[in-house]
Amino acid sequence: MNPRTRHALEFVLDNLVWFMLLFVLVVFSIFIPNYFQLGIFANIIEASSVLGVMSIGLALVIIAGHMDLSVESVAALSAMAVGILFCSSGIGLGVQLHPEWLMVPVSLLLAVAVGGLIGACNGYLVVRVKMSAFIITLASYIWVRGLVLVISGGRSAQDLAPAIRWFGIQRLVGLPLTAWIAIACFVVFSLIMAKTPFGRHLVMIGGNETATFRAGIRVNRNLIIAFVLAGAIAGLAGWLLAIRTSGATANLGVGLLFNAFAAVVIGGVSLKGGVGTLPGVYAGVLLLSAINTAINLMGLPANYTQVIHGLLVLAAVLLDAFKQTIRQRLA
Amino acid sequence: MSEPLLVLDNVTKNYGAIEALKGISFSIGKGEVVALLGDNGAGKSTLVKIIAGGLEPTSGRMLFEGKEFLARSPAEAKAAGIETVYQDLSLCTNVDVVANFFMGREITRKVLGIPVLDERAMEAVVEKALASAGTRIPSLRTNVEHLSGGQRQAIELNRFVHWGGKLVLLDEPFAALGVEQTRRGLDMIRQVASQGIGVVIITHIMQQAFQVADRIVVIRQGVVAGDVARNKTSPDAVINMITGETLAGAGPAG
Repeated sequence: MNPRTRHALEFVLDNLVWFMLLFVLVVFSIFIPNYFQLGIFANIIEASSVLGVMSIGLALVIIAGHMDLSVESVAALSAMAVGILFCSSGIGLGVQLHPEWLMVPVSLLLAVAVGGLIGACNGYLVVRVKMSAFIITLASYIWVRGLVLVISGGRSAQDLAPAIRWFGIQRLVGLPLTAWIAIACFVVFSLIMAKTPFGRHLVMIGGNETATFRAGIRVNRNLIIAFVLAGAIAGLAGWLLAIRTSGATANLGVGLLFNAFAAVVIGGVSLKGGVGTLPGVYAGVLLLSAINTAINLMGLPANYTQVIHGLLVLAAVLLDAFKQTIRQRLA
Repeated sequence: MSEPLLVLDNVTKNYGAIEALKGISFSIGKGEVVALLGDNGAGKSTLVKIIAGGLEPTSGRMLFEGKEFLARSPAEAKAAGIETVYQDLSLCTNVDVVANFFMGREITRKVLGIPVLDERAMEAVVEKALASAGTRIPSLRTNVEHLSGGQRQAIELNRFVHWGGKLVLLDEPFAALGVEQTRRGLDMIRQVASQGIGVVIITHIMQQAFQVADRIVVIRQGVVAGDVARNKTSPDAVINMITGETLAGAGPAG
């Protein structure tokens, strides 16, 4: 095999999920009437912003060789915190700040801080007390959702302050600002993972924790930061969720966790850790969203979505194994 | 003997009731190569881990460059100038050769105040280091998982040669190497020592110890059973120290 075909092949393998996305979009555009419209494509991006942001945090922790099942509940708690403070009806307290725009940074900071705090709690227990991330974050998944129910009393908050709502309404080049926030997050965190020592260290910790410890990398510190980031990013996802629904309900975002896992796995992140990139995860998120949109357009019952997502995850795992065999031949 | 670099003074290590090290005392000079020999379970790897910061001794003290020394983590040992090559390789197979070479010590440049990996500079350094050691690896950008055992070990060895420091600990570094690569590895050790760096090498192969070491230290059942200059002893005498008795018909060593 000459070096050029080899490089081409490696490029395709590295970006396989993007090719899948392209393929799916082309097929849908050809076979589903009305699919090929800018509005539809904008909608695919728009609908994937909350899931996309949440997947970033999940992917960070999984790449570092751990797990965070709590992201969905954390997002819900952040959304509820924002909802209770800044919504004017339901259980909303309708807090007003002057000038009005001040509510944006305050609510955002609140959402991110709530998430980061729970992330720090997860990280401390996993890293310092050395308990399994799966169990710790499963517990958080449950108690944080419980906390949402407790503080809301099972009721909902509606009518988010217009100053915050503005992000969901104002459009830039056809996309609402919330979608741009998600895209910006992907760009920033992709750069962090690919270009900074911190990102490189997370990938190496996910690959061989002992080796990184022996090499003098501060493994515990890096892992705790990863958990805090995952929580904070989930908090941001909650903020976006509150904007999108203009409030918060007690069961807000239920099921997002499994979609986030699907997106992460489809995006080429290995659950064993150490493998995967964030652009791939974004492609995974868009792929799920593209398929959802197709299901809607075809008028299939929404219940099919779950079956298809499940099969997609299965396909992604099989594809990953297949990719590994090809790579071994290449080397 | 040259100026002592590291002095171990009655270092012990207990695992519960088990005394892995019962009091080890010896020293390593600057530019000196010490071969650490001993049977399986004699405590060699434990000793290396204590010096390298992977384990804390139960009692005893160490002097590094004349100062009291105790590494609580590999990072501390590294900061003091102690490099270690472990028996089970310390490579992250999921990243490429360059990333492994610079693990934890990446070259960065500031972009808007944020440290950003300088891949080009790092690749150039690795290329030079590997070329001068005569190691051939097809692409520095391939992930280590796709490389052979020998290539992996070569990366580890080149890594310590490049970073050097003041003291190098090698725990059976040639286990996966072929004849030619081993010879080159031994040359590397001499070359490192000639720069004034102290080297401790653990090996099971008598021949290697006699080829490379200035001094041979034998550990048996957690104590130093022998500490002799290489040119004042023979493989047979060393085997006797390792086993603690004269074996009839043991045959030529190595």
